Amino acid sequence: MPRHLQDWPAYAGPGMVTGLLGVVLLGMAAGLGVRALRRPGAGVTLPLADARRYLADPRTRRLALMAGLSLAYLVSLGRGWPYQVTTGAFLIAAMLLFNAARWWVVLLVSVATAAVIAAVFNRLFLVPLP
Amino acid sequence: MSLGPLQILGELWALATPLMLFHALWATFVGTMVGMLPGLTATMGIALLTGLTFGMEPRYAIIILLCTYVGAITGGSRSAVLLNIPGTPANAAACLDGFPLSQRGLAGPAIGLSATSSFIGTVFGILCLASFTPLLGRLALQFQSWEYFWLAVFGIVVCGNLTAPTDPLKGWIAGFAGLLLSLVGQENIAGYARFTFGFDEMRGGFSLIPVLVGLYGMAEVLAVMREQTLPEIARQVGRVLPRFREVLAHWKTTIRSGLVGVTVGVIPGVGEDVASWVSYDLAKRASKHPEEFGKGSREGLLAAETGDNACIGGAIIPVLALAVPGSAPAAVLLGAMWLHGVRPGPLLMIEFPSYVYEVSAMLILAACASFFISLVGVRWQVKVLAIPRPIMMPIVFTLCVIGAYAINVRIFDLWVMFAFGLVGYAMRCYNYPAAPVVLGVILGDLLDVNLRRALIRTDGDITPFFTRPISVVLVAVTLVVIASRVPACRRAAARLVRQLRPTPP
Repeated sequence: MPRHLQDWPAYAGPGMVTGLLGVVLLGMAAGLGVRALRRPGAGVTLPLADARRYLADPRTRRLALMAGLSLAYLVSLGRGWPYQVTTGAFLIAAMLLFNAARWWVVLLVSVATAAVIAAVFNRLFLVPLP
Repeated sequence: MSLGPLQILGELWALATPLMLFHALWATFVGTMVGMLPGLTATMGIALLTGLTFGMEPRYAIIILLCTYVGAITGGSRSAVLLNIPGTPANAAACLDGFPLSQRGLAGPAIGLSATSSFIGTVFGILCLASFTPLLGRLALQFQSWEYFWLAVFGIVVCGNLTAPTDPLKGWIAGFAGLLLSLVGQENIAGYARFTFGFDEMRGGFSLIPVLVGLYGMAEVLAVMREQTLPEIARQVGRVLPRFREVLAHWKTTIRSGLVGVTVGVIPGVGEDVASWVSYDLAKRASKHPEEFGKGSREGLLAAETGDNACIGGAIIPVLALAVPGSAPAAVLLGAMWLHGVRPGPLLMIEFPSYVYEVSAMLILAACASFFISLVGVRWQVKVLAIPRPIMMPIVFTLCVIGAYAINVRIFDLWVMFAFGLVGYAMRCYNYPAAPVVLGVILGDLLDVNLRRALIRTDGDITPFFTRPISVVLVAVTLVVIASRVPACRRAAARLVRQLRPTPP
């Protein structure tokens, strides 16, 4: 086998399979595109009214809120703050913003969950917490 | 001396320690809860518990994961019967007859029947696992690079075809995208780093568990939190224990569904949901009372639940014999086995042949524990379904986070999970199945290494890919699967059949 990568034949190179897969995916994407264009009324249009309706939909807002909260939680992890505090804060925020229950139930469930997860993973299974 | 499947009895005896039974019971209970709660799938349950069992002895870890698997698939029928929402995708067919039964005040008998048929299906799958894995393992010993390459392609094509029945092109795109994603990081022949964009963390590639937790767990959290309402639960439970006569009356359906479940399970990456639908469909076609299906047919419920549970044993057959998962939960199980130092594949049959029977014995324990848990305490299990989703889902997300993190203890995996969560959610919205992506991530390395190794061995000659006997079979089946979904090929086949048919005088 050649010692340097540039001496390798093309069929054994590290880009061979990635290239093949790229071609296959491109072919299938072209198939999807052709099929979409052949459908009656096909065309690349995005009516502004539809976009506004989608953005104003309460379900879209709930989705964005959950994704945003999840992102904020992940950003807060691994920055030196105690895991129990960041997890507890995430749970309280998520449950309160989604009107899950009364505030004291939310507080109780969040604190208990954060403490139990931390204890089980850190103390029982010796996994360092993020 | 090998006793074959009878060795299961010896392995069962060895497993019957108080600690093992304790692990089997609690893991099955957790699996049942995971399966019961809509939004928590068997795949996700096993992925989360893989993180939890990380520091455990391998045999304890594997039995916990197997019990979670069986518990989740069985428990998923609870919400299907009571809420008309399948607890896991595998239980979707159980909704059709389970919920109408519970609406008629027969929730208890419906739960009892689904638990019994789940038990029978699981045991059927275990018997096939113990009998056929060594045979498949011996066949797999003849596999070389050419066959492994085609096996990977075959798995992706069949999985894409069956998990996206309305549009297989989307299934294939998902599968090939999964293969491409698996090639991120250092490759295994020359150690060359691909698609890392200068980030050191990317050199290790995407770990399976964060990808899985993202695609299944986080995507589900987003999908459930987007919705506002939760349907009412049928609170009347009634008698749970089924009558023996009732189960025995449908013995043909039971055997047929068991066979379907195992066969679908053996096909790479397809899984319990397809097994359940195919079993249900065949039961309806063969039934003396097809008009009752969808209106509370006990036979329909029995077929669906036997099929998806028999698929568990079937899905583990290729895991042990080929190191190729038969379903999405089996994919996580395979990842967990690797993590715990178990090396499934053809060599397992030579190095450690009794492992098949050990896994079979573990599954028998899981089936018994699941049957026991399913029949006792149904009334209070039902109460869990009443937990509001806005309380449940943020907790599930924190478990997703810790589950993705615990495997490698690196923050990068959390971002992988988040990215795959968003991708998984978008895929759901546009009807792209997640299972082919997971299978692609698992099989990518197999395809890459074996294609290049085969070409190096033949100096670039591709002829053996199409001339070796097992390769020819795999190529032929793959082409038939693709051709069967291309409209032009179907029309041509129909034309050919018409021409070959003798014309009446």
